[in-house]
Amino acid sequence: MEPFLVRYRNLLVLLAMLVAQLVGLAVQVRRTDGGRSSLDARDPSGVRLIRMWANAIVTPPELLIHSSKTGSLGLWQSYLDLRHVHEENQELEKTIGRLRLEQASLLEDARQGQRLQALLDFQQKYIYTTKAAQAIGSSGSEQSRVFYLDKGSADGLERDMAVITADGIVGKVREVFRNSAQVLAINDQTSGAGVILETTRIRGVLRGNAAGQPQIVGLLADQRIKPGEKVLTAGGDQIFPRGLPVGVVDKVVRDPDRDSFIFVIVTPAAHMAQLDEVLVITSTQPRFSPKQQQDLATSEALMGAEAAAIKEQKKASEIMGERLPGLTDPNAPPAPPVAPGSPAAVSPPVKTAPPLHPDRYTPGGAAVPEDTKQAAAPSANASAKPDVKAKPKTDKTTARPGSSPAKPAPKTDSKPGQGTAPRRNP
Amino acid sequence: MAVLGASMHRDIEAQRYPLLMYALVPLVALVLQAWLPRLLRGHVWFDLPLLVTIYFALGRRSPIQGMMTGAVLGLFEDALGHHAIGINGITKTVAGFLAASLRIYIEVDNLPIRVILSFLLSLLTSVMFIFINRVLLGFDLEWNLLSEFLKAVGNTAIAFMLFPLLDRARVRD
Repeated sequence: MEPFLVRYRNLLVLLAMLVAQLVGLAVQVRRTDGGRSSLDARDPSGVRLIRMWANAIVTPPELLIHSSKTGSLGLWQSYLDLRHVHEENQELEKTIGRLRLEQASLLEDARQGQRLQALLDFQQKYIYTTKAAQAIGSSGSEQSRVFYLDKGSADGLERDMAVITADGIVGKVREVFRNSAQVLAINDQTSGAGVILETTRIRGVLRGNAAGQPQIVGLLADQRIKPGEKVLTAGGDQIFPRGLPVGVVDKVVRDPDRDSFIFVIVTPAAHMAQLDEVLVITSTQPRFSPKQQQDLATSEALMGAEAAAIKEQKKASEIMGERLPGLTDPNAPPAPPVAPGSPAAVSPPVKTAPPLHPDRYTPGGAAVPEDTKQAAAPSANASAKPDVKAKPKTDKTTARPGSSPAKPAPKTDSKPGQGTAPRRNP
Repeated sequence: MAVLGASMHRDIEAQRYPLLMYALVPLVALVLQAWLPRLLRGHVWFDLPLLVTIYFALGRRSPIQGMMTGAVLGLFEDALGHHAIGINGITKTVAGFLAASLRIYIEVDNLPIRVILSFLLSLLTSVMFIFINRVLLGFDLEWNLLSEFLKAVGNTAIAFMLFPLLDRARVRD
């Protein structure tokens, strides 16, 4: 070995210097998405060249291992799955149909929520677009809890996008490469997510500890915080939308450095140790896929048919109400004459109580219209015979209702209120 | 004194390996270090790049080569993480230098000695990592003594199996 070193000493020294300078450059230079290089170390939009190089070397073998493992396991799994695939397919189709209807309903609710949100000028955001990705590798160090996804900028991923699973939040995209991305997990010591305790509404910042457990830091001691309480995202960090599940409170420990402060250890809702498929929230703007829009249109059409049915019902009830007996409108035009003995004559549409002592000011007390007299004739004949002599005088007194009476009311054989005033049909 | 009193002639004789091994073994170590924790539920109780550094540093007699191997592997590890690039580079450079330097005084064909050396160097790199982070760079990095100890134990166990395996690829005169 010694002759080798002696012989190629200069070359080796040159090589070492070149490597050292390349590494130094790679550390300083950042490469942006557009291929532009920047020397500004504070530029957050770029990626260090050395990270890109390392990623370019390590990611392809990781993808190869992952795909080969998935392929070999998939062959055996496919054989096993084929056994009950027909029944499962039918069940799944039913489920899909039901879920599509539910989804249409939920989308309608979401749109309504968005409208209300706009009205109230809220700044909170909704999740609308996500990108599914698979975790393919990690940093390989417990001090650096990051992992890599098989999707990158070519798939629309950007820095600071939230990464979630169906169970809860996982982390945020930290670096983006063309076909992969680095995600900083929520249990890393340098991570930070705004969270809120569901019941007590206490807000805090979530980050990892040395053991890889997420914990809420910087909280004042509070007796209300109990194990089992749910922890949700607060939405104030501009990364995670509000209300996503984070986990549950595991225990509360005192901050050894500050007496009045506590750490709230959180059991994450997502399985941080076994992450396979995750969702990256790529957009919080309202975007519906064609399928979702079609479902939404179907939902609206269904709702339109329902509204038309309700309108028809209202119309039918109005017609029915017109045909049913009700109060007589005094301003209504006179009804056509009805033959005695007919049902209309037996049941006149009058429900007001007759005055006990009618006078000339009583509506209908001094003058009875011809049609009313005709309608009341059968009942009057049945109860008491009206005095036909009183009829002309009654007509005269009612000619000017507001004038003083010139003559006293004529005597009649009938009792007061009978014969002249409208009578309730027995 | 089989350990310290071995033949100096044999000790300073550099072991040679196929050229492809110098590139392939570190690459496989890096890939496995990044990929295996997913299968092990996030428990990273091993450091394959460190073991490769120690192995090649012990096999070759040049501290420069040991340093270079450690530096490259450490820098790659740093690049895959999100901390400042160079922390692992420094720790593994020191590990490579120490392993290559100690080779003069120990019997490198003695497997238990190599395994014990791996355990000690693993603990040393952990201490250096925490020291650089907390003291030199001022990062508020928490650390777990048990975790670092388990990592050293894991490295020891892997070295016990890995080193004889790599010895098989050695070029013999």
